[in-house]
Amino acid sequence: MEAKQATPVKYDMDVVRWFTIMAVVYAVVGTLIGVYVASELAFPFLNFDIPEITFGRLRPLHTNAVIFAFGGCVLMATGFYIVQRTGATKLWSNTMAWFTFYGWNLIIVLAVITLPLGMSSGKEYAELPWWVDIMIAVVWLSYGLNYIMTIGIRKTSHIYVSNWFTMGMIVMITYLHVVNSLAIPVDMATAYSIYSGVQDAMIQWWWGHNAVGFYLTGGFLGIMYYFIPKQSGRPVFSYRLSVLHFWTLTFGYVWLGAHHLQYTALPDWTGSLGAAISLSMIIPSWGGAMNGMMTLSGAWDKLRTDYILRFLVTAMAFYAMSTFDGPVMAIKSVNALSHYTDWTVGHVHAGALGWMSMISFGAIYHMVKKLWNTEMYSDKLVNVHFWVALIGAVTYVVAMWVSGIMQGLMWRDYDEFGTLTYTFVESVSAMHPYYVMRAVGGAIFNLGTWIMLYNVIMTVRQAGAVRGVNAVAAKA
Amino acid sequence: MSDIHNSAGGVPTTGHVWDDDLADYVNQPPKWWMLGLTASAIWVVVYWTMYPAVPLAMSGTFFEGVGLPGSGKWTAIKELAEDQKVLDDVRKPYEDKLKNMTPAAILADEELSKYVERSGKVLFSDNCGGCHGQNGVGTEQVGAKFAQREQGLMAPRLNDDDWLYGGTIDDIHTSISGGRQGMMVAHKDILSAAEIDTLANAVASGNPASTPLFAEKGCTACHGADGKGMAAMGSANLTDKVWRFDGSLEGIKQTITYGVNAGDNARVAIMPNFTAAGKLSAVEMKKLAVYVYKFGGGQKAAPVAVEVAPAVEAASAAEAAPVTAP
Amino acid sequence: MSDHDKIYSTKFQDKIERNTLLMFVLTAVAVAVGGIVEIVPLFYLPNTGMCQNDPTCNNTQHKDLQGNAIPMDKIIWNPATSAHKTLADWQPGDGVRPYTALETAGRHVYIREGCFLCHSQMIRPFRDEKDRYGHYSIAEESMYDHTYQWGSKRTGPDIARVGGKYSDEWHRKHLKYPRDVVPESVMPNFFFLEKNPVDTVKLTKTLEVMTQMPFNPVPKTIYTDAYIAGAAKEVEGKTEMDAVIAYLQSLGNHVKFEEGVNYRD
Ligand code: HEC
Ligand code: HEC
Ligand code: HEC
Ligand code: HEM
Ligand code: HEM
Ligand SMILES: [Ca+2]
Ligand SMILES: [Ca+2]
Ligand SMILES: [Cu+2]
Repeated sequence: MEAKQATPVKYDMDVVRWFTIMAVVYAVVGTLIGVYVASELAFPFLNFDIPEITFGRLRPLHTNAVIFAFGGCVLMATGFYIVQRTGATKLWSNTMAWFTFYGWNLIIVLAVITLPLGMSSGKEYAELPWWVDIMIAVVWLSYGLNYIMTIGIRKTSHIYVSNWFTMGMIVMITYLHVVNSLAIPVDMATAYSIYSGVQDAMIQWWWGHNAVGFYLTGGFLGIMYYFIPKQSGRPVFSYRLSVLHFWTLTFGYVWLGAHHLQYTALPDWTGSLGAAISLSMIIPSWGGAMNGMMTLSGAWDKLRTDYILRFLVTAMAFYAMSTFDGPVMAIKSVNALSHYTDWTVGHVHAGALGWMSMISFGAIYHMVKKLWNTEMYSDKLVNVHFWVALIGAVTYVVAMWVSGIMQGLMWRDYDEFGTLTYTFVESVSAMHPYYVMRAVGGAIFNLGTWIMLYNVIMTVRQAGAVRGVNAVAAKA
Repeated sequence: MSDIHNSAGGVPTTGHVWDDDLADYVNQPPKWWMLGLTASAIWVVVYWTMYPAVPLAMSGTFFEGVGLPGSGKWTAIKELAEDQKVLDDVRKPYEDKLKNMTPAAILADEELSKYVERSGKVLFSDNCGGCHGQNGVGTEQVGAKFAQREQGLMAPRLNDDDWLYGGTIDDIHTSISGGRQGMMVAHKDILSAAEIDTLANAVASGNPASTPLFAEKGCTACHGADGKGMAAMGSANLTDKVWRFDGSLEGIKQTITYGVNAGDNARVAIMPNFTAAGKLSAVEMKKLAVYVYKFGGGQKAAPVAVEVAPAVEAASAAEAAPVTAP
Repeated sequence: MSDHDKIYSTKFQDKIERNTLLMFVLTAVAVAVGGIVEIVPLFYLPNTGMCQNDPTCNNTQHKDLQGNAIPMDKIIWNPATSAHKTLADWQPGDGVRPYTALETAGRHVYIREGCFLCHSQMIRPFRDEKDRYGHYSIAEESMYDHTYQWGSKRTGPDIARVGGKYSDEWHRKHLKYPRDVVPESVMPNFFFLEKNPVDTVKLTKTLEVMTQMPFNPVPKTIYTDAYIAGAAKEVEGKTEMDAVIAYLQSLGNHVKFEEGVNYRD
């Protein structure tokens, strides 16, 4: 009962084009701030005694820029793209989609203004001030409603798997954002959480983990399920696996937040519960990774010529890796060492650079070609971007793994007299070379995003020129 | 719409097609994966029996005693106690002795002072290094280029043999356990600018007694007739060109004008009282005394110091003005 | 159309995949469970949350070495039973107390400057953390911390018990130019705090807000109307530097811990 597309549907793609362009811009900006923040830790003089750019204020700008600006625009671009094409329908409301576009970008502008001014709520990944939180809720709901209604008016009988994941993300992020952001305002700059201490901690990491689990992972798995089969021209490896992957992840991921709070003042049961289920998430996650990779089985040769596919497949490898790294870190004895160290930061960026960014880059290149109905300005540059991004990501992640494990070991090392071996500042100075290495790795990764920006701009201009020529030809 | 089939294996798709060519094969998930999924579910249950994991069962689990050996007994605090015991067993032979020994006796015992030297490192760096610098070198090195901006050393260097309060093991131990707060009155209302200028120049030259003002204006009450300072009140030796704060003429003028720990603009010199703050145990403070002594500047107990100290202490340091130098 | 009506999962799954509303509702339920199970019970922890005034909530209590329950007012300061009746009289060891006016202003600076991104305030029950930072942290100690500040990264050391470790003067010097006192430090210079006076309007409002919290509010018997009204006066002439130092000096000495007692039950 699939739609017979005798007359091709005219999709609402303008808004998708703009989200895509903005995603590319924010990829450049977000990682650039990351490089700066990394450099501040390596060379503290870079704080330049300017309050607005000190580490404590710039770091939230980095995380917000990459997660909400870059990640958000990718999710909205691909979301609107996928939901229309897999439902063979236009958007439920194109006007509302534009509202989402302007609203989201306004929020990003406000983040750029408020965070350096120090208007922080003091919760990681939820630093924005309370009135921006309200705007986020409104804009997010406009995205969610439009998305779900578009699924509702689809012309196909079944809902495509990508949309399951994106819908899961929309619901969960709404819960998380609303519950975690509840606060009593003092003035425009400041509000205090209505929860405190242990309760606030658990709610924050219920948010923190699931922002990762549903936003940076669930939403991007939706991207994976569309773009890997599309780009490789092959059906998804296993429908059964998609179903199991979706439900196990959707039900299971929610429980993991407590692994951020092991050994803290929360009762022991909370951390143990989080740890137990974290470990059991390896298999579901790998199911997803495998479903992506196996989709290519029999078509591996395409990797030699198809640079976009390289991004997508590498992303799956990193996804598998970081969903192994994460559960390992959730084991009590490992977390005792890794918590509070750069190991966590290494894990984060294995996911963020290797998985989430790579899959985004692949999806963006794919969409740019389709959206502007042209070839990339330079395929070679796509390949260069791929290698630059890979080298940058690996450099970053390796540096942080080494420094994190070293930090953890130094802090707890005892000599034969039963005395602590290292002072805290010794651990600080031991990190220096790795902080430099991280900044270099990040800079390389950032260079890749500039290459992408250039390539995308040139592609769009080239498409415009062609269209222009056609138009002239048509008139003549 | 036609069904898409896997050309290689002939596996069919579910028959659903989206966006022209998106489809799913009906492949089964690999067997290892399905086994893994089952194992994961079992794992969760087993883990729950091993560690407390049931909401509101604050310690232990509902399954206490069920499952693997030791099940349900784990708590973070028990784990701490076990780990701590391993350490305590190593430390005990030493710590037991330290408890009843004076710092001087510890210093005399070669094995114990070796032990203390080790355990002093982190103790010193994490508690004292912030003020006295790593290894007691002072905190001026990097800050030096900002010397104009800042008031020189945060706290005295501890690795030289210049001591405000005396360098015997007992003096050092007293500094640590009781804290120190040297006091020098502000002279801005007592002296004219010209007098301050004269005094500062004399002090800077290394011979403060070269001007009669030094005795007339009461400096000798604290710094001694020869300007060599008095350990009892921690007044600095002004003749050795080792500067506690700042040896520039401007710096010396500032010290004289505003004094030390004497209110507005004064130099601040407070060594916290670690006993009162409850931050360090008695044994830890003994360890630190030995550790600091062994930076190299420690002095053998001199009989003179022992005699002088009680005499001056009797006259409270703050009201030391009438006491004339011996 | 041979395969079209064949179902490769279950009938129910197939139904879900055809029905937007059904999928929406089921997803919404599936993602709600874990959070509810983990979060709600924490509001019934002894001494905090909804059990603020009931130390035996959940039948658990801290016990001393003889097995006697430790009275809650040894852990949480209660002006009614304590020998020290006001915030000004409170002494270290009297039990967990809310922050004074100046400390509250300092806490705002701490959050604003993102100190929590480099410093944790949560000492775990490990022997090395005990040696380095002191007794492990307990739930009650952060019960008044609206917007908790435990942190998740130790670029700098834990500061849950930094109070009393240094003199105010050291903090002033360190916060202004950390590398003046610790050459290896990577902490930013916060010299500008000394130029900003404490925002008294914000402070007064903050104290009020703290008494209005639905969970773990500061009792009105501590933040009395008079106290709140006098807050602006109390911090007169103080800078943000003074405030943040006061906050730092207040950390970690509220409870007097006894050796060997399990405070995590
Ligand atoms: C807040 C800064 C600070 C800290 C922390 C600190 N000190 Fe001090 N210390 C000082 C100051 C300031 C003086 C000088 C006091 C004076 O001039 O009256 C001093 C003096 C001393 C003296 C006497 C020096 C002399 O010349 O007689 C010793 C010994 C000493 N400290 C050891 C230690 C040890 C050991 C520790 C750690 C347990 C420590 N200090 C922690 C600031 C500090
Ligand atoms: C009340 C006692 C007292 C009096 C009177 C006094 N001083 Fe001092 N002075 C001290 C103490 C104590 C210190 C050491 C401060 C510290 O390190 O804690 C000191 C330190 C100094 C220093 C800084 C030395 C250095 O190493 O940086 C100078 C210079 C100085 N005094 C000069 C004078 C002069 C000149 C006079 C007389 C006008 C004077 N003092 C009167 C107690 C006194
Ligand atoms: C870029 C990371 C960073 C930021 C942001 C930061 N710190 Fe630090 N902090 C450090 C490091 C590294 C150390 C250890 C070296 C030192 O003592 O400077 C430290 C040490 C400290 C110490 C001494 C702790 C001890 O026990 O020795 C205090 C207190 C402190 N910081 C307070 C603050 C406050 C307050 C803020 C915010 C206004 C802040 N820090 C922001 C990195 C940071
Ligand atoms: C050029 C690339 C990047 C660089 C150099 C970089 C650098 C950094 C640095 C220095 C930190 C602070 C770590 C610390 O406090 O020690 C950080 C944190 C973080 N970054 Fe990045 N980043 C980059 C890209 C990204 C991307 C693309 C994402 C996507 C989501 C991301 C997500 C995060 C997150 C979530 C954190 C917080 C980690 C935590 O709290 O543990 N970063 N990054
Ligand atoms: C099954 C999969 C995963 C598990 C079990 C897992 C587990 C963990 C654990 C144990 C921590 C450290 C908590 C701590 O000690 O503080 C952590 C931190 C983190 N992880 Fe994962 N992880 C998984 C997948 C991912 C992925 C795919 C991403 C990224 C896209 C990611 C992003 C993060 C972030 C951002 C943090 C830092 C949180 C903070 O600020 O402290 N995780 N994760
Ligand atoms: Ca001297
Ligand atoms: Ca973090
Ligand atoms: Cu997590």
